[in-house]
Amino acid sequence: MDSRSVSVVVETPARGLGALVLALARELGAIALVAARTVLGLPRLERRELARALVQFGYDSVPLAMATAALAGVIVVLQSGLYIQRFGARAFLGWAAGYGVLWEFGPLLLGLIMSARIGARNAAELATLQVGGQMEGLRGIGLDPFAILVAPRVVAMELSMLTLSTFTFLVAILFEAVAALLTLGLPLRVFFGTFAQMLGALDLVGGVVKVGAFGLAISLVSTAVGLSARGGARAVGQAAASAVVRGCAAIFVLDFLLTLALAGWMS
Amino acid sequence: MKRVLAFFGAPTVLLARTARATAREGLSWRESVVQLHELGGRSVWLVMSGMAFFGAVLVTIANSQARRFVGNVAVLGPAYFELLIRELGPVVSAVLTASRAGAGHAAELSTMGVNEQIEALEMSAGDPLADLVAPRVVAGLLGVPLLCVLGTVAATLSASAVAGLVFGVDGRAFMDPRYVDGWDLLAAALKAVACGLYIPLAAAVAGLRARGGAEAVGEATTDGVVAASLGCLLIDFAVSLGFQVLRL
Repeated sequence: MDSRSVSVVVETPARGLGALVLALARELGAIALVAARTVLGLPRLERRELARALVQFGYDSVPLAMATAALAGVIVVLQSGLYIQRFGARAFLGWAAGYGVLWEFGPLLLGLIMSARIGARNAAELATLQVGGQMEGLRGIGLDPFAILVAPRVVAMELSMLTLSTFTFLVAILFEAVAALLTLGLPLRVFFGTFAQMLGALDLVGGVVKVGAFGLAISLVSTAVGLSARGGARAVGQAAASAVVRGCAAIFVLDFLLTLALAGWMS
Repeated sequence: MKRVLAFFGAPTVLLARTARATAREGLSWRESVVQLHELGGRSVWLVMSGMAFFGAVLVTIANSQARRFVGNVAVLGPAYFELLIRELGPVVSAVLTASRAGAGHAAELSTMGVNEQIEALEMSAGDPLADLVAPRVVAGLLGVPLLCVLGTVAATLSASAVAGLVFGVDGRAFMDPRYVDGWDLLAAALKAVACGLYIPLAAAVAGLRARGGAEAVGEATTDGVVAASLGCLLIDFAVSLGFQVLRL
């Protein structure tokens, strides 16, 4: 091995790492820029667009969110049932299943599904506008695209996610109770008894805080990806796909950080 | 009701038609390997990093639950490990793959449909189902189970590491396969294979249906991702329920 090949071997990982760090910095910078411009655009927020986004993000997502909630609840019970029976702690099922849905599976599944549904659509719409030159058109006639297009989406997403989270948790817990009755023969009174005894209002708050953070992450990531699309029709599809992927990645990282923070803060 | 029927029926019909077309035209193995790389090679980082975070979250929860009950995560560890192997490992990996591969497939196929490349393929005596859909289905069938294995391994390793470093519990306490038996592995394998079959089909249904312009591409991508993710959850639920009913 001569000195040149050695330098290549050393250089490639270093170059890869450098590219990774640069890409990460660019991503975070784009998200921070979008967030800052959104906050600046809040006073001049387009109300009609906000109403439309609220209907699209909130009302139209209700069936999907409910289906996800019902499935999550039943799955958690089917699974906890396995080891709850093994430990002979059937009465604790209400607490264990409720805890699982409120803290973990409810927020996480809702976040992933909403990221797929709303994140992809957001990115595709904004990328279509960007690629078609309509964004420049807005700027050209002196309007702020952030106040008209981005801020309403971020606000609507946040409101929809917070509202949906409460409904989702309710539906999930109801389905859990029914599933526990049908599969394990656990009376509803016992289920809700331990549920009410061992879970406090703080547990509910934890789930809602998580969902709110996920909603913010989804809307900011997807709008940042959509606005940075360049090219033709292909770029629109790519923006939609990469918005979903980045949204999911952001949700997992946030989930871990929030679990650590909230668990540390509560105990 | 119509929507529910379409949700399950369209992928089934597409699968039957793809199988017939492939039997007639033959399958391009080269294209299947390319698609396997597209689906697997590109999703592997997302799945492994996502699952690593998920394993860390799981052990954090196990720890906070155990502290209320018994005071030591070592007691709950094996039960959580079984939960991970049988349930969460395959499903969360499959949903992550669905979000990446489903979006990619639907976007590609709808772009081709919108630009009339699919009609061009038919004109030149190609068969869209055998040439485009079949390789993606083969890639899904092979790739998703592999990704599920990798994701589960990543989650287990990160859970053990977090248990050891953060909570000061012996990390091996979490990886205790005391409760894992063949049925758990069978359930996990069934889920992984079924999701691998369903993801490309659901994405292809959404992608091939697209008509119009750039708007239609975005629409098709969204539909493909949602259908694929929800399908994975439904498959998981159906397999779990089946095993529960049969008392396995």
